Amino acid sequence: MFKLNPLTIEQLKRFKSIKRGYYSFLILCFLILFSLLGELFVNNRALIVYYNKKFYFPTYTNMIPGTVFGLGYEYETNYRELQKIFKQDSQGNFVIMPLVPYDPFETDKLDGSYPPFPPSIEKKHYLGTDKTGRDVLARLLYGFRIAIFFSLLLLIFEYAIGITIGLLMGYLGGRFDLFFQRIIEIWNNIPFLYAIIIIASIVIPNFFSLLGIMIFFGWIGITWYVRTATYREREREYVLAAKVLGASTARIIISHILPNILSVIITFVPFTIAGGITALTALDYLGFGLAPPTPSWGQLLSEATEFHVKAPWIGISVISSLVVILTMVTFIGEAVREAFDPKMYTTYE
Amino acid sequence: MEKILKVKDLKVHFPVKGGVFKATKGFVYAVDGVSFDVYTGETLGIVGETGCGKTTLGRTIVSLYRPTEGEIIFKDKNLNKLNKRDLLELRKDFQMIFQDPFESLNSRHTVRYIIEEPFAIRAIGDSKWRKNKVLDLLDKVGLSRNVLDKFPHEFSGGQRQRIGIARAIALNPALIVCDEPVSALDVSIQSQILNLLMDLQKEFSITYIFISHDLTVVRHVSDRVAVMYLGRLVEIADADSIYSNPLHPYTMSLISAIPKVWGKAQEKRIILQGNIPSAVFRPSGCFFHPRCPYATDLCQREYPQLKNYGDENNIHMAACHYAKNDL
Repeated sequence: MFKLNPLTIEQLKRFKSIKRGYYSFLILCFLILFSLLGELFVNNRALIVYYNKKFYFPTYTNMIPGTVFGLGYEYETNYRELQKIFKQDSQGNFVIMPLVPYDPFETDKLDGSYPPFPPSIEKKHYLGTDKTGRDVLARLLYGFRIAIFFSLLLLIFEYAIGITIGLLMGYLGGRFDLFFQRIIEIWNNIPFLYAIIIIASIVIPNFFSLLGIMIFFGWIGITWYVRTATYREREREYVLAAKVLGASTARIIISHILPNILSVIITFVPFTIAGGITALTALDYLGFGLAPPTPSWGQLLSEATEFHVKAPWIGISVISSLVVILTMVTFIGEAVREAFDPKMYTTYE
Repeated sequence: MEKILKVKDLKVHFPVKGGVFKATKGFVYAVDGVSFDVYTGETLGIVGETGCGKTTLGRTIVSLYRPTEGEIIFKDKNLNKLNKRDLLELRKDFQMIFQDPFESLNSRHTVRYIIEEPFAIRAIGDSKWRKNKVLDLLDKVGLSRNVLDKFPHEFSGGQRQRIGIARAIALNPALIVCDEPVSALDVSIQSQILNLLMDLQKEFSITYIFISHDLTVVRHVSDRVAVMYLGRLVEIADADSIYSNPLHPYTMSLISAIPKVWGKAQEKRIILQGNIPSAVFRPSGCFFHPRCPYATDLCQREYPQLKNYGDENNIHMAACHYAKNDL
């Protein structure tokens, strides 16, 4: 049986009433959803192809070779070309392309000039291209998708480890606590960035190995807070009451202490997400993050510094997206912190 | 009469730690050599000032704390020598009611969850059976049946304490340690809760250990009363005997502090000087001598043993060198 505690409902209501945070939350959710469906909006594969009285939906299917549409090549159909050809033929065949008909990996070569190309509505490079002719908007969107999911996964794993260890440290105390306190102090003093740079210079990290490295160094943050909160909770009488009833340690920790320290944890979530995005972007910027050609904001940023005079549109678009996203996450964080502030609504009357 | 609980020379010392390596720098002698018996069906009151160790004593009896020394024998079983499984089984038979009903109920759980937890822990019954049982218990403690899905903070202090009581009696325990169950409540609510406790005692023949600093409350509910001072018992006797004829000067001062409603004003009111001494650095000799109006050299040197000053039928133990003298 699941029923929300009226206290929790009260907190959610308060969160909703903080407009800035609430709308940021809605927009961010929308953006995440939008990025998940990114292939429908930003892609070089057509949404719908109508050819010889048959419909094709290439977006999520296997690659369709050009021969299928009567083109003279075996490799994947270039739908932008196909669209032009169908228009000229005017035999009732048509192609509907996504809003931005470019893939984040695809370089668009224009005759007679070198990339980066400036924004152009006519060519559908709404935010221009980067130095190899890849569409900036496409790279922004897919870069966002990678960054936000990287950040969310980082959050989940870091918190799973951090909360477990923190709870055990706080509840068991004694030697276990002492041991992990020292471990964390040592961990804290390892320069995180150097360590990653050293590791990245030996093996080029992919998405999951980078995630692993960052979890390895990142679980400490929440552990301290959880430990302290658990320390406070375990001395309270409801824990004693559970002990008298004969509750096991696992039961006390999971069903008694954890729900009571959740609000402490939730407060940190948005800030951890912002931290994850920033960290990944910074690493990519320095060239120690995800290997190219993975679309990433950090890598766009480094191009932006390289071409800040020749191609200011790269810098403008990536910096403004970074600022907007991080500001929204911070707004959410502030709203959550305010909504869950125990001083505003305590269990004491 | 049958003895349900025997406490033998119980000591609970908490180490005081400090420094980098958490070296033990001393001990808090919270409970230091307490012995008494509890008979089936009676109510034993334990009174004393804040910090005298009565809460620690109660919590040690229900195995929340490990005794440093001594034995607690409950139903002929030594609680400290049981393994986890047997202790869990035996825990059915002794429960605790806590002082602060605002603290002792987890604010994240519904009433239903709280009261059915004793069954859930032992995997007794299915969800439907448990629900009926919870409704039963709500009836018994005088709460209405529609509170099942409410949360503790939606109740008043007295109602919350009733929830705590329902949880404590859920498994039909033989012994309940009540740790100041009414001191956090309004006076008008206090009597309701006390009457509820006494009714339940009659109905289920529960034995109570009733810890309180409120002497009037203790007198109202207790058959026998034990007085604690700085981790030791200074006097233990029948309630009537202790209230009419206290032998220890500390007990006398406590009783003289009870406000009188009837009769003439107090002729002799003993007002104690100073505070209860530190349980880490205790006075020499009788712990009470720095505050005792009758203290002598002997009191400074020697701790008086707890002796029976009554007779066979009416045991009245006190720990004072001059208990026989009419102080």
